[in-house]
Amino acid sequence: MSTKTYSVGVLLTATVLAFASHAATPAQRPEQAAAMKVGLRRITETQYRHTIADVFGPGIKVEARFEPERREDGLLALGSAMLSLTSSGFEQYFALGRSISEEVLSESRREAAVTCRPSDPAGADDDCARHFVTHYGELLLRRPLTAAEIQSRLEISARGAKQAGDFYAGLELALTSLLIAPDFLFRVESAEPDPAHPEQYRLDAFSKATRLSFLLWDSTPDLQLLAAARSGALHSQQELDKQVDRMIASPKFQDGARAFFADMFQLDGFGNLVKDPAIYPKFDQSVAESAREQMLLRSMDLLVRQQGDYRDLFTSRQSYLNRSLAAVYQVPYASKSPWMAYEFPNDSERSGILTDIGFLSLHAHPGTSSPTRRGIKVLEIFMCQATPQPPANVDFSAVQDSTKGTVRGRLLDHMENEGCSGCHRRTDPLGLALEHFDGLGQLRTMENGTPIDVSAELKDVRIEGARGVAEYLRNEPKVPACLVRNVYSYGVGSKTYGRDKAYLTAQTQAFIASGYRFPTLVRQIASSAEFFKIVAPKSKSNAPIAAATVTQLQSTAE
Amino acid sequence: MKLRCDRRSVLKGMLGGSAVYVGLPMLDVFLNTNGTAFANGAPLPVRFGTYFWGLGLTDTPAGGTRWVPTKVGPGYDLMPELEALAAVKEKVSVFSGFRAIGDGRANLVHWTGHASILSGVAPATATRFDAASFDTKVADAIGTSTRFKSIDIDASVSRQPVSYSTRTGATFASPDSTPLALYTRLFGPDFQDPNSDDWKPNPAIMLRQSVLSAVTEQRRELMKGLGRDDQLKMDQYFSSVRDMENQLAVQLQKPEKREACVLPQAPKDPARISSVDVVNSNTKVMAKLLAMGLACNQSRVFTFVHTSGASETYLPGQSKIYHQITHDEPTDARLGYQPETSKLANEVMKGLGTFLAELDAIKEGEGTLLDNAIVLAFSDTGYAKIHAIENIPMFLAGRAGGRHKAGQHIAGKGAPVTRVSLTAMQLAGAPVGEFGVGSMKTSNPIGEVIA
Repeated sequence: MSTKTYSVGVLLTATVLAFASHAATPAQRPEQAAAMKVGLRRITETQYRHTIADVFGPGIKVEARFEPERREDGLLALGSAMLSLTSSGFEQYFALGRSISEEVLSESRREAAVTCRPSDPAGADDDCARHFVTHYGELLLRRPLTAAEIQSRLEISARGAKQAGDFYAGLELALTSLLIAPDFLFRVESAEPDPAHPEQYRLDAFSKATRLSFLLWDSTPDLQLLAAARSGALHSQQELDKQVDRMIASPKFQDGARAFFADMFQLDGFGNLVKDPAIYPKFDQSVAESAREQMLLRSMDLLVRQQGDYRDLFTSRQSYLNRSLAAVYQVPYASKSPWMAYEFPNDSERSGILTDIGFLSLHAHPGTSSPTRRGIKVLEIFMCQATPQPPANVDFSAVQDSTKGTVRGRLLDHMENEGCSGCHRRTDPLGLALEHFDGLGQLRTMENGTPIDVSAELKDVRIEGARGVAEYLRNEPKVPACLVRNVYSYGVGSKTYGRDKAYLTAQTQAFIASGYRFPTLVRQIASSAEFFKIVAPKSKSNAPIAAATVTQLQSTAE
Repeated sequence: MKLRCDRRSVLKGMLGGSAVYVGLPMLDVFLNTNGTAFANGAPLPVRFGTYFWGLGLTDTPAGGTRWVPTKVGPGYDLMPELEALAAVKEKVSVFSGFRAIGDGRANLVHWTGHASILSGVAPATATRFDAASFDTKVADAIGTSTRFKSIDIDASVSRQPVSYSTRTGATFASPDSTPLALYTRLFGPDFQDPNSDDWKPNPAIMLRQSVLSAVTEQRRELMKGLGRDDQLKMDQYFSSVRDMENQLAVQLQKPEKREACVLPQAPKDPARISSVDVVNSNTKVMAKLLAMGLACNQSRVFTFVHTSGASETYLPGQSKIYHQITHDEPTDARLGYQPETSKLANEVMKGLGTFLAELDAIKEGEGTLLDNAIVLAFSDTGYAKIHAIENIPMFLAGRAGGRHKAGQHIAGKGAPVTRVSLTAMQLAGAPVGEFGVGSMKTSNPIGEVIA
């Protein structure tokens, strides 16, 4: 393809689109309105993996490099609503789609995957192919396929079957084309006019089912949920409650909760975490991966299995260790299984998730700790408090050689400096109180031969060491409110706005009244009407959706 | 395929493209050079790439410059931090004194500088660019006849893969960030040896094409009712599908012979350590693979990241990272600069020296691959201690097939960085006559370096 045809193609497409929207006169609005799409989110790596496992069975290999994700307002789930797919990303999904299709339709698996039998295994069979495409299409695209979508897959399938002399080779191509379809790689949310209020829109039933299943299971809707969407039953509160209860009771709720906490706790940097081997000889990739898993095991055990108090996450001495971690924590490993439950002693400085080496090492430098990074992350992750960008023209002349003494001296300079103090006074004290842990999270009491002072002043509270930070978070009202905000934003895929405030406050009060139980919180949110709220996308002027009654919101986030 | 860049295609590009890239003043330059070069079927195309490193070079307000040559014009003096470029000095032009201009927008630290160079506008937020990076425009112009429109590489061993190449300003390229990943992409199972004598089209590729067409057929249906931002995302998705279609189409054509193309050995990935010695050796291995990928005509465009903006690299065994040192280290009163910072800058520049040496090591026709390439190398800041976006070091390396009058030092005297970007685009043969926004808008390339 040459530059010439490319440019002309763009031009023509633009014209066609312009014509199409121009032609949408008000008289035609009902049809146009039905096509309103209110959200587009790229599916994440874990969502992809869970979907493939749920649809085709857990044995299918998913080996690829996924596109990098991006965090917006603290969540990758919000970043996923901003991202598209690059050329090399598409290349990866294409190769992955081919390898999955090949495996699903391999001789050993095809009997399970294809329930009909072709009339001639060496040729095309439209009926059997239609059955296959319709069934898997709905599971993958999270809605029934249109006639045109089915037809194009039947054509590929027939062509492939004829060329290869193999019915299943044709199906392989059809399945690959489903696995690279934009409606699979992105969650497309659609809205339809609400029959109860004809001037308003509501999320259609399949989009509702998808929001539920990605929040609760981190995966595609199953057949039961799709059936409830198809019949429209999902629009009733009674059916919604029933489905939410069923989904939370399913073992797949673990997957959903894990994905949520991995996102909220920002556990995505471990695959690439680097430490200087001369300074931290105990660090390697297995320590990094184990440290991540430890944080998830702690969270899942407390919050999902025991349905415990969320605040205990900061103070509980109950943790899990494996052999690689035991070496870093300097604890003898006395178990034959890969992981063992371990309770840190009463007088240990380790208590709660902030003293897991995962948190401590991820938010540090390759060769040192970083009180500022740790402080920023405590505020951001657990209290939803963002820290602004540092100013550009900082005068560092007051900062002197810091190879001597502790890091506190260097940071005190920042706290004195006018341009820096606004933020550093907020961020650094929390990090300085965690300074008994080095850049890998190992315990220490001295730095460069000087004893480390772990006392800190926060507004009018004085805290001492890691346990002080833990107690502080336990009693901070922003902490439960932040969890509530994150569950909601994560599920809906949009930031929260001023007008969500009353809803979020009510949810937070109910969460507190429940004894800070995570599953109760998720149930409340997933069965509330606000969870299915839609925000009209910004459109170009005069597009049909501009007439929609849905308000366009301006962000009021801090 | 030949004569891709005639007057007609420029005019059509104008109609289809955005106003920022309208290019009349450029026509003469580009027809005289590129047009004739392609018209006679010259086999050695110009390759274009960007090379990025973090934290600038040392040039202090106290006058202690370690990189800006005293002499302007040809035959510049090789300053201490440029010593790594000694071997290729005659093929490298140095640009000093160019700056990013925010027009009232804040200097977003370790972001505004390179965002301005690449997108022509100081961005509003530190996670996005406000416009596409210009390498994608060059790729659209010169990169469509090869298997890959562009190869994106990250040698930095960072926490997240780093790339500053973007078509939307929001989604950045996902680079190959290990030698093995790069090798697999270039020379893995889908590689076709251009020098092989028994080339046959692979029928499976035609079937793959049909898989893609099922997706593109549904484009209109999908676009219907999408909001503006979502349309942009889908546009990029479909442009990625188109790149894949192009890749398959290229693979169905018998490749032209490439004398310099020799299939390399699969490399081993190094341990994941971000110290500067490891990053430099990563750079060397990846540059060698890239150079061979270019020689084998797998792509004509690349983007390469040595270290990221607020670079986390460090000297092995040292507890402080480079970024921290640039801020904390006091200026030595006697020397007039920060000695430790300058030492790290020297190490980082060895990466660029190695990179260019690898391109220069491949013989092509009368010269080398570097002679047929133009590489814009640049950083995010000038003087990193104060996050300066004035005097950001920029280099143009390679002779661009003779179009670049290389080996000069150009003093920008406060001119916008976009002038260097525009020059790079034109040397690469992209039909672009104007670049940038506001005070950084320019239609004035640096004529002294254009033959």
